Amino acid sequence: MYQYNEVDQTLVDERVEQYRDQTRRYLAGELPEDEFLVLRLMNGLYIQRYAPMLRVAIPYGLISSEQLRKLAHIARTYDKGYAHFTTRTNIQFNWPKLEEVPDILAELAQVQMHAIQTSGNCIRNTTTDPYSGVYAGELEDPRAYCEIIRQWSTLHPEFAYLPRKFKIAVTGGAEDRAASQVHDIGLHLVQNDAGEIGFEVLVGGGLGRTPVIGKKIRDFLPKEHLLTYLDAILRVYNLKGRRDNKYKARIKILVNALGADEFRRLVEEEWEYSRGGELTLTDAEIARAKSFFKPFDYDANAAADTSFEQQRASDSAFNTWYERNTVDHKVPGYRIAIVSLKPYLKPAGDITDTQMELVADLAEKYSFGEIRSTHDQNLVLADVKKSDLYAVWQALDSNNLARPNIGTLLDMIVCPGFDFCALANAKTLNIADQINERFDDLDHLYDLGDIQLNMSGCINACGHHHVADIGILGVDKKGEDWYQITLGGSSREDASLGKVLGKSVAADDVANTLEKILEVFVEQRQEEELFRDTFKRVGIDPFKENVYAVAH
Amino acid sequence: MPLLINQKIVENDSWQLVDIEALEQLQDLSDADIQGDIIVPLAFYLEHRDQLLSRSGRLGLQVNGDDDLAALYAEQANVALIAVEFPTFRDGRGFSIARQLVRIGFAGEIRAVGDVARDRLAHMQSCGFNAFLIPEDRFSEEDLSAFAEVSVNYQGTVADPRPIFRR
Repeated sequence: MYQYNEVDQTLVDERVEQYRDQTRRYLAGELPEDEFLVLRLMNGLYIQRYAPMLRVAIPYGLISSEQLRKLAHIARTYDKGYAHFTTRTNIQFNWPKLEEVPDILAELAQVQMHAIQTSGNCIRNTTTDPYSGVYAGELEDPRAYCEIIRQWSTLHPEFAYLPRKFKIAVTGGAEDRAASQVHDIGLHLVQNDAGEIGFEVLVGGGLGRTPVIGKKIRDFLPKEHLLTYLDAILRVYNLKGRRDNKYKARIKILVNALGADEFRRLVEEEWEYSRGGELTLTDAEIARAKSFFKPFDYDANAAADTSFEQQRASDSAFNTWYERNTVDHKVPGYRIAIVSLKPYLKPAGDITDTQMELVADLAEKYSFGEIRSTHDQNLVLADVKKSDLYAVWQALDSNNLARPNIGTLLDMIVCPGFDFCALANAKTLNIADQINERFDDLDHLYDLGDIQLNMSGCINACGHHHVADIGILGVDKKGEDWYQITLGGSSREDASLGKVLGKSVAADDVANTLEKILEVFVEQRQEEELFRDTFKRVGIDPFKENVYAVAH
Repeated sequence: MPLLINQKIVENDSWQLVDIEALEQLQDLSDADIQGDIIVPLAFYLEHRDQLLSRSGRLGLQVNGDDDLAALYAEQANVALIAVEFPTFRDGRGFSIARQLVRIGFAGEIRAVGDVARDRLAHMQSCGFNAFLIPEDRFSEEDLSAFAEVSVNYQGTVADPRPIFRR
């Protein structure tokens, strides 16, 4: 993984001291509240319903054992012993003290971490595929480009006060596990007819109250032009994006208003000035970035092991976990293991200090000391030898991290909702519990196949409810929590926005409604069809009819 | 209002921003009525261009992100100062305007006005601002050190356009 050099370290250290002084001036009354708000947000600090919330950056979801141990230490020392992973692959602490945040940041800087640009109207953490570098089928490891983007976007003097937040995702090939089409910019590594590798560029995707799928503005951008092209997009957005209404300030609104063709024309016009200029990437810089993401020194004999098959045969619980929670690795004899942060009746994405330390230890012992965080709020040990999987599973299982539910209905993306968030209209955690209680028969869930369920506690859609097979949106009706359900969304290659099923349902009726939806699916399903395929085939009407049928 | 140039306080600012209402009352925009170096809003300048250019004092234009920037850039050779207004703390359009002014070769003073205070001075300087007018109540002597709070940068700046990987 990337290692800080002196410049990286100096920047983070000085940013900590700068923020420490900003906090001091705020507490001394020298910095107005509204200015400090903007400055603290740019350093990841929100004021939530009950306390501040500090969001720490995990660039493109990659973290070392040492870093994860530091996060465990912070959770224990400055918080209530746990933290929460987000869909931007970052981690949030829910109870830090405002005046202690500079100290937390100083601790983070010791392990090459920070909270820079994890909030605010600036370029946020660039995300990517959690299986980067380890799955067959990617053109190149996208993380080198994520790191290049990270450096370019960090403390960018021109793009720190954009009309609204700005999110970039990069994929290494055709498969999309980064929800790239619902990002402000989605970059896909592609190969052109001449065999060269570059980027397909999408712009103007996003969720929130106006969900939009990104529009392609360029089929092929040669790699060396990556930053000059991003620079052109950002400058057009910074100058032309709306600033009169924060709900209409995202780039998606600008792209929709201008049309993709006119937006592309403006970008290309702006690009003419910088194309080929100083910001053009050099071969040496691309090679340098790539050098941090080389394949590990894998055991050439890993595939020869036979103990693993015996363990699968003799321990059915291990076998179930293996089938649900591990994924093919491109190197024979290795698997990608997913650490489920979706245990029974616990908030999705939450992790305790001791669990963090355990995962850090497992990574160090069995997965080259690295961990990835995923868009759907789990962790990944990306390089586990099959012969080590049993030991990994045992350790995870005894720490409530091995629930074999990855890809199932219970592998939900859930925002913290009203219990924590000041923006939320409705609770989400109680609904997630209700669903867990109702659908606790995992064999039944396996029969249903992969189903993505996402839930948000308000229209801002942090839980990405629009792009799930089943989306649940909490709404407030005269002081009561109600839930609107959408079906048929996807954040994958076939990105699409869910369709509203009908009028919202009462809080205690959500699991019942899901049952009715799944009844229709089972009835209409052909053979082993996935929910999304059945939905595409039969449309929303049969679901509507069953859910809203008048009882006789 | 303290004016910072080259990270020092400038005691005598020769420029005055002329009140638009006062300007509109005037019969004649020649030196008889307004003396010295004046800054006028771009829109007013575009209406009274020839008269304003016939004056002997120097001329500056004030703009913000709502103005017709193409018109500004077309006139840059006629003026000695461009004051870019930050209407609110959150409005970051001025950063890009400064960048574009530098790019088209504007060699005069690029002055940050409006909501200008310590925590954005370094970014402003990187983008091409070379003068900073700070409201009295937001100024402190310590602001002079704000330019060096973060001593490294990944991006190019106006002083050194090379990004880190070309240095």
